[in-house]
Formats: sequence, structure tokens, C-alpha cells
Amino acid sequence: MMPGANMKIDTDIRLPLSFILYGLLALVISQVILFVSNDALLTGHFRIPDIWMGAHFLLLGYAVMVAMGAMYQLVPVAFLTPIWSQKFGFVQLGITVIGVTAFAILLGVNPDKAIFGGIIAIAGILMFIFQMVMSIWNQEKKTMMTYFVIGAIACFFLTIIAGFLLAWNISVGGIGNHNTILSTHILLGVAGWFTLLIFGFSYKLVPMFSLSHGFSMKWAKPALLTYVIGLIVLISSFWSSREIGQTIGWGLLFFGFGFFCLDIKDILSKRVKKKLDKSFSFALLAIINGLTIHALALIFRLVGMNDSIVWSWLIFLYIMGWIIFSILGYLNKIVPVLWWTYKYSEKIGKEKVPLLKDLINEKANIVLFSLFIISVVGLTLGALAQYGLVVVLFQGILTIASLLYTISIIRILFL
Amino acid sequence: MSLLTKVGASLFEVIDPELGVNIMDLGLVYGIEIDDEDNIKITMTLTTPGCPMHDSIKNGVQYQVSQVEGVGEIDVNIIWEPAWTPAKMSEKAKEMLGFS
Repeated sequence: MMPGANMKIDTDIRLPLSFILYGLLALVISQVILFVSNDALLTGHFRIPDIWMGAHFLLLGYAVMVAMGAMYQLVPVAFLTPIWSQKFGFVQLGITVIGVTAFAILLGVNPDKAIFGGIIAIAGILMFIFQMVMSIWNQEKKTMMTYFVIGAIACFFLTIIAGFLLAWNISVGGIGNHNTILSTHILLGVAGWFTLLIFGFSYKLVPMFSLSHGFSMKWAKPALLTYVIGLIVLISSFWSSREIGQTIGWGLLFFGFGFFCLDIKDILSKRVKKKLDKSFSFALLAIINGLTIHALALIFRLVGMNDSIVWSWLIFLYIMGWIIFSILGYLNKIVPVLWWTYKYSEKIGKEKVPLLKDLINEKANIVLFSLFIISVVGLTLGALAQYGLVVVLFQGILTIASLLYTISIIRILFL
Repeated sequence: MSLLTKVGASLFEVIDPELGVNIMDLGLVYGIEIDDEDNIKITMTLTTPGCPMHDSIKNGVQYQVSQVEGVGEIDVNIIWEPAWTPAKMSEKAKEMLGFS
């Protein structure tokens, strides 16, 4: 018998749900900030306090907090090991919420003091890393999923070290290579932490949501190794200023992502559920987006495209089209499971209970996810073509979509 | 009707909330054993190891079997080997999931 078969692995629902609800609030705040700062978006000037604030509410407040909440729920079920300490988790939640909120706001209103919020946020993140390492440490049989998540956590740790150095430089100064540290911070954060984390959990979630069996996962190891080596090569090229290193690095990231896609394709080809949910399909669309963006990055490197505005928008697409879309899709599946388990788990078999699909409004999801796709495409094209009105319009649609998405998730909690 | 048949029939009432199909038609129940004192041992699996519905389904099985008159102690043993495969589903389940 596999370990954990008869082990109780439930996490107190209030813990993941609190992270997720804060994340949704941060998503709406981030989009409102970006909507108000649409003139900066139009000129491609992302390195100003307002955009820092919006970006950090989006990435730290939404994406990181939701990822943390999802991990509190998924690590026990995916790795068959309980969370090391749920009490510690609640303390970590409080500290991280205070830190992330203070840090994001200070970046926008008083960057010189952002370091103080940053220190609290870092404390919360370090507590999270400690919690996860202790939990995963207890997993009896490590799998490829474990190694993806360990890789993601390692990148997360390095991301916050680099982030701390940046915040220190803004507040106090004195550390050289600010731009190189910034590039390293962005790459480790978005490509290292988020991508490796989504890869790892996709190996659990894609078969689970498509009810797939008999797949091989034979590309998992090459995907992990190639992607991690790609990250190392790319970061090395930032520090050594060797152009060829960037091309090789992006090439490796593309192939790493491609190997992951081969496994996902195999998993989906062996699925039992022929009709997939809209939320899950949206998360799968994000994978296609991710592969396309990696391919574009490699092509841009090969043809010598160095326009900083184009690269800024490519990073925006990487964050929105791949990371945020993945999280939006998966979250819309995870929250109903959480809520169903909380509300109906004790009633199953005793009385008629709703099915999971009864908690999900598929028609509304079609509209919502269409709005996200249209707004991200429109926003990018409008900004690249320098049409101010188009940028305002599509950022407005994105803000409304984020608000409606948040309402749709909260609605589940009243069913 | 024998106790074994009654216990088996009760398990048709436990529905997998994700798939909307009962656990018997899904082929999740590998065995039902009854000893001399009518204690019941259910050996079953789930569609995937680490299924989030693990405890919910286990509790549902426990409750449904407890409703059968005359049963003693109930032991629900969840195992992962042999792993569940779609081949274990009944024709009805395959049809419901569009897999046939």
C-alpha cells in the first residue's frame, strides 16, 4: 500500500481560503491601479512607483498569495503528507498580509520606505518556505512533482533575496548592478518560482481534472533539468553580459517548456472525461500561451530584437497569459472543491448533496474568461500600436473582468 | 437478500461529487468482506491517489454501510495497488462520462 492511503490529510479550509480571498482582493486593487496608470502603460514605462505598486499587488498580493493558499491545500493531497503546522500557517498568513500590503503601498507612495514593508513581507515568505520545506520533508516517497516544487521554492527564496537587494537600493542605495539584480529578480520570480510550481502541480491537476490514466510523465525529468539549466544560463548571461548566453538560455527555457507540453499532451490524450470544464480548459489555454511566449522570446533573441518596450510587453504577456491565466483557471476549480469539502463532506452518502459542477456557473465562466482573453490581447496590441484610447478601454475591461471573477468566486461561498 | 448484497447495494448511493457517478459503477470498490460477526471490511480505491475527496468519500461509505441493518464494525480500507483504471468502470459509468 502506498503511504498515506488511510491518512487524514485535510487542511483547515480557513487557511487556504484566507490566502485566496486576500489574493482576489489584491487582484482587483492591482487592476484598478493599472487602469489609473494607463498613461504609463501606453508609453511602456513600467519602472515607476505606480506600476511597481500595481505589479506587486498583482504578483505578490494576488499570484503569490493564491499560490500559497493553493499549496496549503494541494501539498497534503498531492504529496500525501500533512501540513507541518497549521497554527504556524495562520501566523504566516497574518505577517505576509501585513508585509505584502505595506510593501506594495509603500512602493507606490513612498518607495524610500518600501524596505520596511519588504522586510515584513520577506519574513512572511520565509515562514512559508520553512513551512513547505518541513511539510515536504516528511513525504515518504519523493516524486517528480516534489522536485518541481522544491525547484520552485528554491527560486522563490532567491527571488526574495534579489527583491530585498532592490528594495534596499531604492531606500538606502549602495549596491551596484541594480538592473542586473532586477532582471534576475524578475526571471527567478516569474519563470523560476511560478513556472516550476505550475509545472509541478499540473502533473497532479491535469490528470485529476481530466481523469486521465496510463500516461507516462517521461518528459518530466528532461523538462525540469532543461528549464532549470536554462534559468541558470540566462541569469549567468545577465551577469556576464554575454548576448549568446541569453539566446542559449531562452532556447533551453523553450525546450524545457516544450517537454512539459509533450507530457500534458500525452495526459490529455489518455483522459476519460471527454468534455472538460471551462475553468480547466482556460488553464490549459494558458499552457499554449506559455509555449507561444517562450517561442516568441527565443525568436526575438535569434533576430536580435532588443526593443525594451517589446520585451516589457512580452514579460507582461508571460505574467498574464501564462501565470495569471493558469492561476485563474485552476483557482476556479480549487475553490469549489474546498468549499464543497467544507460544506458537504460530512453529508455525502447521508443525504442528497450537490455535485461540484453545481457550484460552478459554466455560462458565466465562458463570458469571464473571454473577457480576460480579449482584454489582454487588446491591451497588448493597443500599447504596442500606441493607441491610448484602446489601452484605456482594454485595461478597463480587464479591471471589470477581475472584479467579476472575484465576485464569481465569492458567490461560490454562498452556495 | 444476503448481507453482502445489501452492503453492495448501499454503496450505489455514494456518489463521486466530481464525476457525478456512484462508486460502484466507477469500479472503485475492490472487495466487500464479512466475517462471522457481520463485521464489514470494504477494500476500495479512488480515481487518483491524493484525491481531495478522499475523506468525504470514505465517510460516505462508512455512513451508508452503517445504515444497513445488522452490520457490525465497519472498516474502510483505501488502497492504491492495484491502481484504478477506466477499464474498471461499468458500461453505464462510461456512457455517463462520454467514454465508450
